[in-house]
Amino acid sequence: MSDTVASALRAIAELNPRLNAVLRVNENAPEGRPIALKDNIVTTDMPTSCASRILPGFVSPFDATVVSRLRAAGWSIVAKTNLDEFAMGSSTEHSAFGVTRNPWNLDCVAGGSSGGSAAAVAARMVPAALGSETGGSVRQPAALCGVIGLKPTYGRVSRNGLVAFASGLDQIGIVTKTARECAELLGVIAGHDPLDSTSSARPVDDYTADCGAGVRGLRFGVVREAVEKLEGEVRANFEAALDVLRRGGGIVEEASVPAIGHAIAVYYIVANAEASANLSRFDGVRYGHRSAGGGTLKELYFRSRGEGFGDEVKRRIMLGTFALSAGYYDSYYGRAQAVRALMRADFSSAFEKFDYLLTPTTPEPAFRIGAKTDDPLSMYLSDIFTAPANLVGIPAIAVPSGFSKERLPLSLQIMAPHFGERALFRAAAFFEGETGYAMSRAPFSPL
Amino acid sequence: MKISRDEAKRIADLAHLAFDDAALDRMAAEMTKILTYIDQLAEVDISGAAGFSPPTPTPLREDVPGSQPADPARNAPAWDDGYFVVPKVIGE
Repeated sequence: MSDTVASALRAIAELNPRLNAVLRVNENAPEGRPIALKDNIVTTDMPTSCASRILPGFVSPFDATVVSRLRAAGWSIVAKTNLDEFAMGSSTEHSAFGVTRNPWNLDCVAGGSSGGSAAAVAARMVPAALGSETGGSVRQPAALCGVIGLKPTYGRVSRNGLVAFASGLDQIGIVTKTARECAELLGVIAGHDPLDSTSSARPVDDYTADCGAGVRGLRFGVVREAVEKLEGEVRANFEAALDVLRRGGGIVEEASVPAIGHAIAVYYIVANAEASANLSRFDGVRYGHRSAGGGTLKELYFRSRGEGFGDEVKRRIMLGTFALSAGYYDSYYGRAQAVRALMRADFSSAFEKFDYLLTPTTPEPAFRIGAKTDDPLSMYLSDIFTAPANLVGIPAIAVPSGFSKERLPLSLQIMAPHFGERALFRAAAFFEGETGYAMSRAPFSPL
Repeated sequence: MKISRDEAKRIADLAHLAFDDAALDRMAAEMTKILTYIDQLAEVDISGAAGFSPPTPTPLREDVPGSQPADPARNAPAWDDGYFVVPKVIGE
C-alpha cells in the first residue's frame, strides 16, 4: 500500500503509463497521508481540467472546501484523477485525455465517471481518493474496480469547489479499500460550509463508531423491482451476499420501490436540464478555451463551445436544453420531477419497514473498452441501480462482493435513509469483515 | 419523440453550440433514441405526485459582496487593463 507521498508518487509513476488513472501529479506534494482527487475538484496548486479540452491550463484561485479540510487533517493531495469529461459518463471513455483501464483487466473500462479515482485505489497507487457523484459516478467505478465507493447524503459534504454538473444531485464521494477508512475520511470532509448553502447544518457523526457492531437484528430490504430481472452470475453473487447478511443475524426480506424502474429516464431529464444551465458558463470569455475563429460575440460563444466540449457533453447539453425549452418543459422536465417525487415517496415508505435497501451496485461487471461507446443509451443503463439514490438524496455505498467467472469484481450496494451514513458503514464493515473481498489484490498493482 | 434535423438545429441555437451538418444529423438520431426511452415517463400515473412539494427549498445565503482572492486575468483568454476583451457587440 502506498501510504507515504513518496511511495504513492512511485506507484503512480510505475503504473499510470498503462492505467491512465491519473492526469496530473504534484511532485512537490507536502508530507502527509497521500490522497488523489478527481480532476473536477479544484486546488490552487494544480490545474483543474474536468478532462475537457475547454479548460486548458485552468488553475483555480481557491481550494475546494474538501481540499482545505483534507489539508488541515494532514492529508496530502498527490494527484488529480481521470474522469469522463465534466463527470458525464460511466466508463471514462469520454475523457478528452484517454480512457482509464481497469486494474483487474486492462481491456476493460474502470467505470465512470470517477474511473481514475477507483482505478488508482484499486491499483494501490493511493490509499484513498475523492470522486463526485451525480448518478452513480463513485459507486459504479468502485464496483467495477473492486473497491469501496460512498455517495454521502445530498448536503452532507460541501460542493464548494466541485465543478458543477447537476447542482441538485451532485455530491462529493469517497473511494477507499476498506469501509473504516471511508468512514474516517467522511468524518474529515463532512459538515456545514457557509460557501455551499445546500450543505447541511446537521452535526457530523462518528462514522466509525459502529464499524464493529455487526448486523444482528437489522432489517435489510431487497428491492424487488431492481433484482427481479437479474440473471446469471450477478444474481448468484447477489444472493450469496444476502446469505452473508442472514448468517450475521440480519433480517433479509423483500422490499418494494415501484418507481425505481423509471430512475434512468428521470435522471437523464433532471441531470441534463441542470447541466445545460451549469455549463453555459463555459463560453470562452472569462476562462477556458476561446475559439481562434473570430467573428461576433455570439459566434465566439458557439465556436468556443463547439470546439471545446466533447460529444457526450454536447449530447447532454442538447437533451437538457430540449427538456427545458418552450413546449416541452411540462411534458419532460415537469413530468420527470413528478416521477422523482413518487420515487422519493416509495423510498420513504420502504424505509419505514427497513433499515437498509439492497441491490447489486451494477447490472454487470466491467465491460470491454469500446463496447458501449456507439450506444449512449446502453451506457446510461449502467447506472440503473445507482441513480435512484441521487434522485432521492440518500446515502449509498458500494462494497466488493466477489468476482465473475472472468475474475472481474462484483459489488453489493447498500442504501440507507438520509444521513444514515453511520449505519451504512456498520453494515459495510460487517460484510467486508465476513467476506474479505476488500483485501483482494488486483493483478495490475504493485507487489 | 422524434427529433428532426431542424429541431436539433433550433435546440443547438438555444444551447449556443456549433455543429457541422453531419454532427447535427447524428445528434438528432441519438436524441430521438434517448427520448424514445425517456417517453416511458408519459405512461406513469403521476396523479399521486400532485400533493408532493420539493423536499426543501434551496437555502440561499445573503447576497453581499465578499473578498475575492482571484486574479481574474490569470485564467482569462483575453484581458486588458481590468476587463475581459470580447468582440464588439454594439451594432452587431
